[in-house]
Amino acid sequence: MSLFAKAGHFGHFSWQVICRFVTLRWSVDTTLQHLSQTLFRCFLPVIAVVLPFGMVIALQGLEVFHLFGAERLLASLASVAIIRELSPVLASVLVAAQGGSANTAELGSMATEEELAATKVMGLDPIKLHVVPRVIAMTVACPILNVAGTTAGIGGAFFTAVYVKGENAGIFIDQLWEYTTPFDITAAFIKTAVFGLIIGLVSTYLGYYAKGGAAGVGKAVNSTVVNSILLFIAANYLLTSAMFGAMS
Amino acid sequence: MISLKNVSISFGDLQVLKNVSAQFPTGETTAILGRSGAGKSVILKLLVGLLKADSGEVDVLGTELGRASQKELYSLRRRLGMLFQHSALFDSLTVEENIAFPLEQQKTPPPRTEIDRRVAESLNSVGLSGFQARNVSGLSGGQRKRVGLARAIITKPEILLFDEPNSGLDPLTSEAIDALICQMKQDLGITFIVITHDIVGALKVADHLCMLDEGKIVEHAPVKQFLISEHPVVRGFLNRNVSIDDEGGIRAPTVDEIRG
Amino acid sequence: MRVAGPVVRALAATGRFGLFSSRFIRVMFQHRPPFRRALDEAYRIGVQSLPVLLTIAAFVGTNLTMQGYHAFKPMGGEKMVGMFVGLAGVRELAPIIAAAMIAAKVGTEMASRIAVMRIREEIDALSVMAVNPHWYLVTPRLMATILVLPALTVLSIYGMLVASYGVAVYQLGLNGQEFLDFLQRGATVTDLAYGAMKSLVFGTIICLVSCYCGFYSKPGPRGVGSATNSAVVTSAVVCVMVNYIISELVYGR
Repeated sequence: MSLFAKAGHFGHFSWQVICRFVTLRWSVDTTLQHLSQTLFRCFLPVIAVVLPFGMVIALQGLEVFHLFGAERLLASLASVAIIRELSPVLASVLVAAQGGSANTAELGSMATEEELAATKVMGLDPIKLHVVPRVIAMTVACPILNVAGTTAGIGGAFFTAVYVKGENAGIFIDQLWEYTTPFDITAAFIKTAVFGLIIGLVSTYLGYYAKGGAAGVGKAVNSTVVNSILLFIAANYLLTSAMFGAMS
Repeated sequence: MISLKNVSISFGDLQVLKNVSAQFPTGETTAILGRSGAGKSVILKLLVGLLKADSGEVDVLGTELGRASQKELYSLRRRLGMLFQHSALFDSLTVEENIAFPLEQQKTPPPRTEIDRRVAESLNSVGLSGFQARNVSGLSGGQRKRVGLARAIITKPEILLFDEPNSGLDPLTSEAIDALICQMKQDLGITFIVITHDIVGALKVADHLCMLDEGKIVEHAPVKQFLISEHPVVRGFLNRNVSIDDEGGIRAPTVDEIRG
Repeated sequence: MRVAGPVVRALAATGRFGLFSSRFIRVMFQHRPPFRRALDEAYRIGVQSLPVLLTIAAFVGTNLTMQGYHAFKPMGGEKMVGMFVGLAGVRELAPIIAAAMIAAKVGTEMASRIAVMRIREEIDALSVMAVNPHWYLVTPRLMATILVLPALTVLSIYGMLVASYGVAVYQLGLNGQEFLDFLQRGATVTDLAYGAMKSLVFGTIICLVSCYCGFYSKPGPRGVGSATNSAVVTSAVVCVMVNYIISELVYGR
């Protein structure tokens, strides 16, 4: 399929998902189930990635601020960088890699093993049953995981600054929220919710239409991670431009 | 010479082979039969060293596989050929590249012309002349088996092993593959070990039959003796599938006999 | 205990991975290096990954510049954005994002290919044909990764810088020359070299982890999906942790 045809197909799929969401034809139970699964699956990986990154930010930041004697600025820089950009992006990358690929793997197996076809034949709606709950779960899970990631990231920065580089803990904590505004927190929530939505739609789309047995599932999982990231990083640029445009 | 001496192997709680002993005569074809899950594929994997027995000895061509080093194992494998259940061909390569593979991977591979000649020879003997440049992914099930077989014989092995050669094939293709195996048997005259649950195919091809049930060998005999065995599992396999004619040979059962 | 289970499994997996890598390293030098297959693989990796890498690196650059600008503006330091991009972008973000995308694109492909081979008994077939599957499957991929990754990383760094410049000058209205001056104060060619070196380490990690996940995959399409999943997540996590160690060694006081 050409790129435009694919985009149209994906758009049609997304529209179907959104329609069912809006008309409330989905099961809250199933959604909560998927939500808890996603949270459980992605929690450790998100922390395992954002935390070391917080540490690295502190490391590099201190190198620079040392030149100006402005070490005390580190806490605020770290928290702002992590909250505004690093945690949302990195956490979402991991959610795509872990949660997104799990979705695609599950739906892909169902598709290639003809479970979805069987569901349709029984007169049931596989999109309502399997897709919508996953998309909602992903949209909700992503911001939650981002909060965990942000905490871990700032924790990592704190650890490096105080225990490895010997900065003052009190000053660090004191300065932490200097430059962070409520807008930042809201913006991060909105961003990650959008990212989660994108990951949810892309991962379920690719799984739902997977073909070709086990190899097809492998290909679909591969595509999910790359394409989700591509899409939400582009969305990130647009969102950030819009938000900061709005600010200034 | 191939033999198993008091071989046992389990996977977790499930004991798949219980103190199994057998000798598979050189130069003859032995078919190993049994219900699904009886342990047939496990025996095959033990014979090629893909699995190690928990106890007992597995002897193939003078090498005891339990104690063999990696080098000895690989050295032994070069004298074997195996046709896998789903042919295990490399989809990204052509027919020719698949068949030539074992030759090309040798430490000192033969010259290109020699390889081409042997590939053509192999393809010829499995009835697929001219298929060299075809893509493996486009072949039918029967054709894949033939290519798999061509690949297995190209190194001129001393033993050929077959893992359910008829699996996944329609009756006509299955019969064709059986005929091919019989032909190979005549042409090559080497030891064949065939794992199957298809009793009719086994009777066509084998000199000896070995029946596995619940991890033990319940009957192991030349064909004539096997046919008159009293063991319930053997009878279960034979009845309705095979009938003995007046001269003690096998004939296809009548419809009444099939319906029982 | 619910916690003990996963931890024990993780430790067991780490041990198995160690065995896998050592078995592979032992075998790696026993045969002729597969130059032709490695080059084929390298070409595939390079050509397939480059567009995605550049696009993502570009967007990382754009956001880095925007965020840096807005962070420093209150302090009147918006002109220093160039330095910020150099420090954060060139030294840290670009190499790790490149690694993450390679894990996502190349790592998943390696893992799923090998996992599918495992299902189709192709790995067993290799063994029975007296070809060491570890050597045959992993060596060309590792050689290709080592060959290609540094180049890809450097290119993605440039992609990021181009996008940063674009945003700085055309969207935020900064002075191009100033931006570049500050950029060079934040990152030098040496940093580029360190980035390339980091990518060598990341590439090795991604390749070995992904091949391992493929080798030890569970049966069925679900097993393939799961192997692919583990490949990218484990690679990413290990790379990020190793990144900190490398940065500490290279840039730490």
